Amino acid sequence: MSDALSRRGFFAAFSTPFARKVEAVPQPVARPAAGSAEAKVAVVQGRFCLALTSFCSVCIERCPVPGAMKKERGVPMVVADVCTGCGVCREVCPAPRNAVLMLPRRPSTRRHSV
Amino acid sequence: MMQRREFNKMLALAAASAAVRANAQSPARVAPAPAGDGIAWDKAPCRFCGTGCHVRVGVKNGRVVAIEGDQLADVNKGLLCVKGYHVGLALYGKDRLTQPLLRRNGVLEPISWEEAIETIAQKVMAAPAQFAIYGSGQWTIPEGYAANKFIKGGLSSNHIDPNARLCMASAVTGFLSVYGVDEPAGCYDDLDKCDVLLMWGNNMAEMHPVLFSRVIDRRTRGEKVTLIDLGTRRTRTTEFCDHYLEFRPNSDLAIMNGIAHLLIKKNTFDPKFVEKFCNFRQAPKDPAASPAAPLLGDPMSFAEYKAALEPYTPEHVEKLSGVPAEKIRLLGDLFANKDIRITSTWCMGFNQHTRGTNANRLCHGIHLLSGHFGRPGDAPTSLTGQPSACGTAREVGTLCHFLPGGRLILNAEHRKETEKLWNLPEGRINPKIGHHTVLMWEKFCTPADKGGDIRTLWVQVTNPGQSLPNLNKLFKAKAGQPEKFLIVSDVYRTATTELADLVLPSAMWVEKNGMYGNSERRTQQWFRMVKPPGDARDDAWQMIAVARKLHDLGHAGMKDKDGRFLFALKNDKGEEVPVWEWPRYYDINVDKVLFEEYRAFSRYKHKDLAPYDVYVKSRGLRWPVVQQPDGTWRETKFRFSEFDDPYVKKGAEIQFYHSVTKDDKALIWFAPAERAPEEPDAEFPFWLCTGRVLEHWHTGSMTRRVPQLHAAMPHAYVEMHPEDARERGFANGETIVVKTRRGELKLPVWVDGRGHPPRGSLFIPFFDERLMCNDLTIDAVDPISKEPDYKKCAATVARAAATP
Ligand code: SF4
Ligand code: SF4
Ligand code: SF4
Repeated sequence: MSDALSRRGFFAAFSTPFARKVEAVPQPVARPAAGSAEAKVAVVQGRFCLALTSFCSVCIERCPVPGAMKKERGVPMVVADVCTGCGVCREVCPAPRNAVLMLPRRPSTRRHSV
Repeated sequence: MMQRREFNKMLALAAASAAVRANAQSPARVAPAPAGDGIAWDKAPCRFCGTGCHVRVGVKNGRVVAIEGDQLADVNKGLLCVKGYHVGLALYGKDRLTQPLLRRNGVLEPISWEEAIETIAQKVMAAPAQFAIYGSGQWTIPEGYAANKFIKGGLSSNHIDPNARLCMASAVTGFLSVYGVDEPAGCYDDLDKCDVLLMWGNNMAEMHPVLFSRVIDRRTRGEKVTLIDLGTRRTRTTEFCDHYLEFRPNSDLAIMNGIAHLLIKKNTFDPKFVEKFCNFRQAPKDPAASPAAPLLGDPMSFAEYKAALEPYTPEHVEKLSGVPAEKIRLLGDLFANKDIRITSTWCMGFNQHTRGTNANRLCHGIHLLSGHFGRPGDAPTSLTGQPSACGTAREVGTLCHFLPGGRLILNAEHRKETEKLWNLPEGRINPKIGHHTVLMWEKFCTPADKGGDIRTLWVQVTNPGQSLPNLNKLFKAKAGQPEKFLIVSDVYRTATTELADLVLPSAMWVEKNGMYGNSERRTQQWFRMVKPPGDARDDAWQMIAVARKLHDLGHAGMKDKDGRFLFALKNDKGEEVPVWEWPRYYDINVDKVLFEEYRAFSRYKHKDLAPYDVYVKSRGLRWPVVQQPDGTWRETKFRFSEFDDPYVKKGAEIQFYHSVTKDDKALIWFAPAERAPEEPDAEFPFWLCTGRVLEHWHTGSMTRRVPQLHAAMPHAYVEMHPEDARERGFANGETIVVKTRRGELKLPVWVDGRGHPPRGSLFIPFFDERLMCNDLTIDAVDPISKEPDYKKCAATVARAAATP
């Protein structure tokens, strides 16, 4: 899919003034280095997630980073390597007990690239 | 695209989630309240959709502080959807209306209730015949009953219609013309028993989520149920379906004819069932012959029926609908198989259709023709959108041509019975049917000297300023006509209060006593648990107070034939209580008194209701509710079937005891495939469909004020196929203009979003009051049900910048 049709633009438009031009859509900010004070990663707690017993797809729809979330057995999962820790998924989660946890990102032995 | 993959994942989920669920704390138990924390719990049906889940409402210090799914409720067994979990917050938007407001010099200014009631009474008194009530499938049963009695019994006028005209009217005319009596024969239990579930233009995962959970849960338990989605765009529901049959808008009629064609051609219909239980019907040659002619139709023989279906070969149906012939054969084979049980469900996909009545008829028809009827799991069942479309609009008969309990304005006998039950002088009820919704608003928006014969219109519990079709014509045209007076009873400011001359603050949901009736004939009851904010008051009180004011002003219609006030309600000791005085309103349970009065109407069409107190103890009961020899009350799950319905004669097996043809048989209708009223052309090349989303309930006046729901779905959008977007160079999220012959709307385009319309097709949800898609929709209606078609019209799109 062409870049213009990526999921990024749509959700940025949602959270910004209505008639905003597409060029002005902010790109996701670079994430803080792992292990730094602000570095976070999202985790979906399946047992609180509405997708488990009912229907919900809001976090996946609204996550601004392509590939940071995927569905695993119908329930959303965060791909930690891709997640920037922006927290959108937690903000929009409508579950009665918020199903998204923002955890401090610990330097991982597996991800030497960061 | 992805539905196959997703579907496989769901099967995987089936294996995994049973275990998860066993251990998991279900979201149904939100912050479980420890004992002794001062929270008082009571039951109520959910305020939102027609599914009719029950919630437990926790109240502390006069506020609703907790909501749980009700484990004791058959409908939802403790489960809720995302809206239901937050239903309590619908009460606590920051801008609740708390005092009556009158528009003076263009500004809504606070006035007292006395002034407000006096103002309405004066307006009605000045021209009673030009006064109309526009009500709701969210009215409680007693509210609708009070309004109906007030206008039909008191003002001798039938200008009352509920918003259910916009959603269930075609289902009503469908049921009436097939079975002679409204509402589904089956119930939700069919969803637990069917082998195949056909969803006709029905996005159950978003619109009736708890029902769909019930179905998906069967897979979780390892049961096999085949799900088939028939629709005009891929939805969340499609992801779970085994088959997705995408058809050209309006061609559902052709598909159903194709199924009937195959059943007959291959001789796989059920001749015994048809012989014993069915007659055939077609549209009358002269629909104007009598008002009932379109509902009764003309008889046709089986041979004629067969001949009429002759052209609908799978190949021809493929040409009309775009659904591959082999898929039509697949449907034909399913209906041919008597060893499986088939349930069909539908909602607005059929009903909001200029051939909505016919779509309903044909669906009943394929079930009857194939004998897939009357066994648990074998049922054609409509689902309602509103929590009491059935209970209040249809059963109480708040439509302009109905009287309570399934009676008709046009039937002299029915008027007489109603007059008797209301103790009115003979001839009080006007024999002329009133204006249906679209006509009512058209007349209200038309100047008096041009034939606009409605001057004062009172809206309760609904938001027509957003939900009517073609708003510029049917609502916004009211602006600038000072002789037109719009009264709105609501809980928040809405698109409708924008043009209101008088705004009345209402109590909502558990701020008042109430009763609802859900999609499966289930009558539900709840008590007031908290006080309404400020000076907000019950809708039924408002109606009764105006009636009393008219009584005091000398309006003769406000008295029965013995000179008693229409709403002279008594307490247990037999003393009259002046309930029109607000401080006295809760001296008695007005709901109970009105319901007991209304209950007398329910027997005629075998919609028997139990006494009020029986509902107090239950999580709703499905009518007919019949008293047993031991004094208990028994509900009916499967109507017309001997094994369950007490009104079916012993040995009859199936009996349609309200048969149109008076021979206990149902009618199988033939109706041709027809074109939509407006189709894409060179100038307007897209189909435009409108509808709902999971997070918001209808026009969003409640759910958009719930922070969690608003955050989850903050904004309307237009869904479009990626190729269509790419061709025009639209970026995802770019604001574009959608235009029809009636109006235009700027909104962001969403490609590969939640729904996936096919090429040449757009979808816009209607919840967002800032972006009202009904500026675009047509006001063409089904000629029989008078229900508008929100699901298809012709539109075009352009870059926002390119338009001036
Ligand atoms: S934190 Fe941001 S990037 Fe990570 S999953 Fe949530 S929305 Fe996506
Ligand atoms: S938004 Fe929350 S409830 Fe919805 S799918 Fe994501 S984690 Fe689950
Ligand atoms: S499915 Fe309908 S009735 Fe049930 S909780 Fe959701 S909105 Fe309420």
